[in-house]
Amino acid sequence: MVQSGTASATETFILFELAGTSYGLRSAVVRQMEMVEQITPVPNAPPAVEGVVFSRGEVVPAVNLRRRFGFPVVPHDLRTRLVVVGHAGRTVGLLVDAAREFVSIPADAIQPPPEGMAGMNGKYLHSIAKIGERLVLILDVDELLNFTQPDVQAPAGASVPRTSHGQAPPR
Amino acid sequence: MALDEPIHGPFAEFLDDYFVECEEHLGVARRSLLALEPSVGQPNPDRLLLDELFRCFHSIKGLSAMVDVRAAEQLAHQMESYLSALRKRQILTTSGLESLIAGVIMMEQVIAARRAGASPPDIASLLHRFSALASLEEGSPSCAPVDEPTLPEPEIGPLRPGESVWQFTFAPTPELAARGVNVNTVRERLQAVGEVVQAIPLLHVAGRIAFRFVVRSNAAESSFAVWERDSIHYEPYASTSKAGDALVESALPSDTEQRPAAPVPVSPLGGSNLVRVDLSRLDELMRMVGELVISRAHLDDTLKRASSAMQPADWRTLQDTNLALERQLRDLREGVMRVRMVPVREVFARMQFVVRDLTRESGKKVALELSGQDTEIDKFVVERMMDPLLHLVRNAVSHGLETSSDRAASGKSPEGHLSLRASTTGETILIEVEDDGRGIDAERVFARARTLGLVAAETAPTASLLDVLCAAGFSTRDVADRASGRGVGMAVVRTAVEELGGSLALDTTVGRGTRFTIQLPLTLAIADALIVEIAGQRYAVPQVSIREVIRIEDAELTVLENNEVLYYRGGVLPLMRLSEYFGLDSAAQQVRYALVTGEGLRAVGLAVDRVLGLREVVVRPLTDPLVRVSGIAGATELGDGHAVLILDASGLARSSRQSGKRDNLRLNALASPALATAR
Repeated sequence: MVQSGTASATETFILFELAGTSYGLRSAVVRQMEMVEQITPVPNAPPAVEGVVFSRGEVVPAVNLRRRFGFPVVPHDLRTRLVVVGHAGRTVGLLVDAAREFVSIPADAIQPPPEGMAGMNGKYLHSIAKIGERLVLILDVDELLNFTQPDVQAPAGASVPRTSHGQAPPR
Repeated sequence: MALDEPIHGPFAEFLDDYFVECEEHLGVARRSLLALEPSVGQPNPDRLLLDELFRCFHSIKGLSAMVDVRAAEQLAHQMESYLSALRKRQILTTSGLESLIAGVIMMEQVIAARRAGASPPDIASLLHRFSALASLEEGSPSCAPVDEPTLPEPEIGPLRPGESVWQFTFAPTPELAARGVNVNTVRERLQAVGEVVQAIPLLHVAGRIAFRFVVRSNAAESSFAVWERDSIHYEPYASTSKAGDALVESALPSDTEQRPAAPVPVSPLGGSNLVRVDLSRLDELMRMVGELVISRAHLDDTLKRASSAMQPADWRTLQDTNLALERQLRDLREGVMRVRMVPVREVFARMQFVVRDLTRESGKKVALELSGQDTEIDKFVVERMMDPLLHLVRNAVSHGLETSSDRAASGKSPEGHLSLRASTTGETILIEVEDDGRGIDAERVFARARTLGLVAAETAPTASLLDVLCAAGFSTRDVADRASGRGVGMAVVRTAVEELGGSLALDTTVGRGTRFTIQLPLTLAIADALIVEIAGQRYAVPQVSIREVIRIEDAELTVLENNEVLYYRGGVLPLMRLSEYFGLDSAAQQVRYALVTGEGLRAVGLAVDRVLGLREVVVRPLTDPLVRVSGIAGATELGDGHAVLILDASGLARSSRQSGKRDNLRLNALASPALATAR
C-alpha cells in the first residue's frame, strides 16, 4: 500500500498524458511502451477496445483510454503511445496521448483521492501525487481493466457508432 | 475412500503421474483381454498375456495404494488374485473374461471418479464376483497372493570391478513425505550412488505399500547406511533364482547370455527409452517454431521488396536459401507435431471394449470393424475426442443397431456391423462411426423435437436433422438407459468437435444405417489459411473449414424472406455478410466471393470482398476477455508485424443459422446503411 510506506520510502511510476492531465501507473505493472503503428479492429468488442496489436509475440487488446474515460477521441499522432500493462495474469495495452516519464515519488507525496472525486473517473483513481506544483492522478489498474460493470459499457455501447473502429489512424 | 477426502494429501503430487500410469496399464490390460478372447474355454490361454495382465493389475494395485485410492487397490487386488489362480488352472471361462472386462471398466470409473474428486462407484458386488471366481479356480477361498514369487528378476547385467548389488526397501509414509523423503527423492539418492536396475512396488501384509529397488553400485556401504533413519533399508541383493545367484556371485560378463529363457522383466517403474513429456512443454516448443515461421515470412517479404535493388545473382542465392529455410521449417514443424501425435489405436481399443460390454448387456450381436488404427492424432485432440466418440459408439449400439431377430425380420444378417475408421487427408483427419442399423427417422426426430418445443413447426424443414439431434435437451428416449444416460448428448459431441476447429456430419438412411463423420484439423497451432479482405480489413480463414470458394455474380443473388441467398448447385445457399455481422463500414464494399462452410443444409456462404491468397499462419489465441468475441478464433501475423484476425467459420455459420428471423444482427443492421439498400 502506498500509504503504509515510511517517509523516506519512494515508489516508481510511469507518467502519461491524457486530455491535458498527467496520470501515473505503478511502474511494476507496466511491461513496456510502444509507438502505435497499426491496430487491428476487433468487431463486436467493447467500444473502448480499439482492437488488437502484436506485442512481443502476444496478441494484446488496445484500449483507448480517452474513450474509456469518456473524453473526446482524437486521432493518433506521433506522440501517441501504447502502454502495455501486465496485471492479474492479463496483458492489456492502453492508448494514451503521450508517455515518456519515469519518476520516483516519495510515499508522503501521495494522498488518497478526495471524497468529492468519486464521480465518473473517480473510481479508476487510486491516489493523487504531488510532484512540485504538478498533480498526478495515480490510476487503479484493477478498476481500469475491469470491464464487467454494466454502467461503463451499456450507455457507451449504444452511443458510439461502430464504424469508428474502422477508422485508420493517421500515420 | 470417503467422499470428502481432499484431493490434496501427502500424495497429491503423485496423482497426475498416477492417472497417466494407470491409463497406460489399463490400455495394456484392454489389449491383452481382447487378445485373450479367442482362448475362452480352451485349455491353454496364452501365458504371456496372462502374465501381462497380472503385471498391469499388480502395478495398478501398488500405485493405487501409494496414492491412497482404496477402491482401485482392492479391485486390482481381487483381479490379481483371480489371475494368479487362473495361471495355475489355465482355463479361462466366459464368465471369467466378462468379469475381467467388467473389472477394467469399473477400474476406469474408479480412477475417473478420483480424478474428478467424486465418490467412487460401488465395487462390492464385483469384488465378490472375483473372490467367488478365484475360489472356484483354486478350490479354496481366495487369499492374498504372495508377492515375492511373482516378482520379475531384474536384469542386472555384468558387474564392473568393485561393484556390488544391493537391495533397498523403502516404505513411504506421510511423515516421511512431509520431510521430503518420498519415492522420487529416494530414487534420486539411489541413482546418485549407482544404477537402479529394478524398482518395484510391493504390498506389505498390513496393506501398506513399499518399494524395492535393486541397485548396482561401487559406493561404500557407509554412504547409504545413514539412510536407515529415513526408513531406507538395505541388504545385499540375493536373487530368488539360481541363475541370478550365479550372476551376483560370479559377476561374469558372459552370464547374461546364459539365461535367454528367462522372460524379459518389464519393470513397472524402471527406465525405458520412452520419455514422458508434459504437453505444455511441447506447446512451448510449437510456439517457438511458430515464431520461426513468422520470422521467415518477414524475410520472404523483405526479399520480395529487395528483388529490384539487388544483383540478380545475389538475389537468387538469397532466395534459394530462403526457400531451403522454408522447407526445413516445415520439416521442423512436422517433427514437433509428430512428437505430439499418438496413434488412434488406443482410442479404438477402448471403443472395442465398450462395444463388447454393450452387446453383452443388450444381447445384440455386433461385429466391430476397425480401420486406420495407425492414424496419428494430436494428443490434445485425442483426449477431447474420447467422450464424443464413446457417445457415438454407444448410440450406434444401443439405438442404431437392431436386435438379431429384428434384423432377420428385415432381411439383414443377424449380426450388426459397426465400423470405426480413421484416416488423414492432407491437413485434416477423418473419423467415421458407421453402423448398418435402422437409421435415423427424420420424421420422428422432428416430431419429437416439436413436442419438446425445440423447433417451431414452421422452421423445421430448414433445420437439418443433425441440428435437431444436437439441440441441447434433445433425446429420443423417454427413459435414459445405461448406455446413453451418461450426460453426454449429441450437443456435447458437436461442441467438442467444433471447439477443435472441426466439423460433424451425418449421413443416414432409414433401414440402412447411420454414419457420423468427424473432421478435425491435423494441428491446432499452425494452419493453412485463406487471406481475405472484408471492408478493407484482412482476415484469415482456416482452409479446413472452407469447402469451396465461389464467385458471386449479381444475377445469382436473391432475397428470400429477408435472407440473401445464392442459387448454387441446384439449391440455395444462405449468404452471411461478414461486414454486417462485424458492423464494418460497408457502404462502398463490393462483395465478390462466398466462402462455403458447413455441410448440406448447414452450409452457409460467408461473403467477402476479395480473396488475397493462401498462407501458412500461426494461430495465436485471443486470451483477454476484452477481445474474446464470437466469430473470431484468434489472430495471426503475416510477416509485417500487424495482427490479422482469424475467423471462426463454423462459429459464424452457427450464429448465422441461429439468427434466422430473430433479430440477432439488430445492432449491425442499424449501423449498416448498405443492408437497407441491399434489400
